[in-house]
Amino acid sequence: MGEERRCAPPHVHLNPPGAQTAVAIRDVSYDYVTNGRVTRALARVSLEIERGTTVAFVGPSGCGKSTLLKLIAGLVRPTEGAIAVDGLTVAGPLKNVGMAFQNPVLLPWRTVLDNLLLPLEILRENQDPRAPARALWGERASALLGTVGLAGAEHRQPRELSGGMRQRVSLCRALIHEPALLLLDEPFASLDAFTREEMWELHQQLRLQREFTGVLVTHDLREAVFLAQTIYVMSASPGRIAHVHRVSLRAPRTLEQLYSAEATALIRDMREQIRPSRRAVA
Amino acid sequence: MSPHLRRLVLPLVVFGGLVLVWEMAVPALRIQQIVLPAPSGVVRTMVQTAGPIAFHARHTLVTTLIGFAAAVGLGLLLGFLIGASATANDALYPLLVGFNSIPKAAVVPMLVMWFGIGAVPAVLTAFLLAFFPVAVNVALGLATLEAELRDVLRVLGASRWQVFRKVGVPRTMPLFFASLKVAVSSAFVGSVISETVASNAGIGYLMAVAASDFNTRLAFGGLFVLAAMGVALYGVFAAIERRITAWAYAE
Repeated sequence: MGEERRCAPPHVHLNPPGAQTAVAIRDVSYDYVTNGRVTRALARVSLEIERGTTVAFVGPSGCGKSTLLKLIAGLVRPTEGAIAVDGLTVAGPLKNVGMAFQNPVLLPWRTVLDNLLLPLEILRENQDPRAPARALWGERASALLGTVGLAGAEHRQPRELSGGMRQRVSLCRALIHEPALLLLDEPFASLDAFTREEMWELHQQLRLQREFTGVLVTHDLREAVFLAQTIYVMSASPGRIAHVHRVSLRAPRTLEQLYSAEATALIRDMREQIRPSRRAVA
Repeated sequence: MSPHLRRLVLPLVVFGGLVLVWEMAVPALRIQQIVLPAPSGVVRTMVQTAGPIAFHARHTLVTTLIGFAAAVGLGLLLGFLIGASATANDALYPLLVGFNSIPKAAVVPMLVMWFGIGAVPAVLTAFLLAFFPVAVNVALGLATLEAELRDVLRVLGASRWQVFRKVGVPRTMPLFFASLKVAVSSAFVGSVISETVASNAGIGYLMAVAASDFNTRLAFGGLFVLAAMGVALYGVFAAIERRITAWAYAE
């Protein structure tokens, strides 16, 4: 079996942060308040994400996976602990991150091209040095659309596209500014099974073309195995990291690999790890 | 018949039928002209008094549009404020709803006390009736902005102002333009109410005078003009809405 599986307890395997670390999460807890009651959504989460890899967070609903994503992006602040991206502590929304969600949220009044260019418009207005020259925008958008099989769709309206096509545009929008960090919150959950698998392959293809660090939140264990190098299984109420798995399927990965003995065993293990936690919540 | 033509022709046929029934019912049921004049008589009177009617109609139109313009300005401002800021929403929205539930006709005497008889109370009543739908719709458009969309932009370093400008404002436009046709109708109601109570010009004034003279035909003539103006104002803003925010209507 070509994979090393670790079920070590969390927050003990921290290495000193090196140049390879893109995201370092240290002892992060997060509380939220509803109707005056404090609920702990995340409890003492610690981990490091290596640059250029993709990690996945799986676990039952309400285990704080999405919250963790928002914490990394700086959209919410941890109650305790700290998060560092590229060695700098996150103190507010990061500025060069790509995000995509289950809901593709395209702007219906803009064409596909204008939706894609929105991030570049923002960067240019803010005189961000990462904004490419205006002359390159169209070219870059077209190239990206070509990669996801939407060549020539620049001037179509979002409403004319199928769910899968919209999701591809949303993914392109998350990548157009070539972010160092791509955060995906169940981006393919609303797609049919075949389209979803196409999207996995597409994501892999994009990763082979350009380097970015990926963080994926998903309910789909096969998706996690296909896309991630490291999978964190979380438990709920409060969310903790219960198990860590390294996925060492060869790259580039194929859908067939998901039916291999090692992938099947890994998926079965994760299912068993998530189920008791589900029962506990119920 | 194409569906488009159908939607245009059918209501007109029904309307024509109703007028015809009215025209025949008045002599058949021996209704006195002073109680209910036949439509043909009303139209004759309207032609005879076309000059004064046109003058009063123009007056009503101008007061309505001035009040409406002010309502759109303040409605947009207030709507943006309430939609963008949770604090403003908590502080102002209940007041706005409370204010809107006051019957505006009851405010007219107050306005007359302050500003005297004339166009000013009419403009103000039009304004008071019209700004609420604009403010509420604009606020709604901003407040229902998808959290995901905001997050996508925030992690690019977008400021709140940029999110507002790039997403909030265009997203609110269909609701804003939808509110305009409601608001212009409300403004029209407001100015006519005020004219009826305290004015010396306008279709509302014309009708009040005609009614006190028992000139039923002229009163009905005024009503016809109001109906036509109301439909026209609504139609103009419905057409503008369709043109400007076509993206919100296509399937």
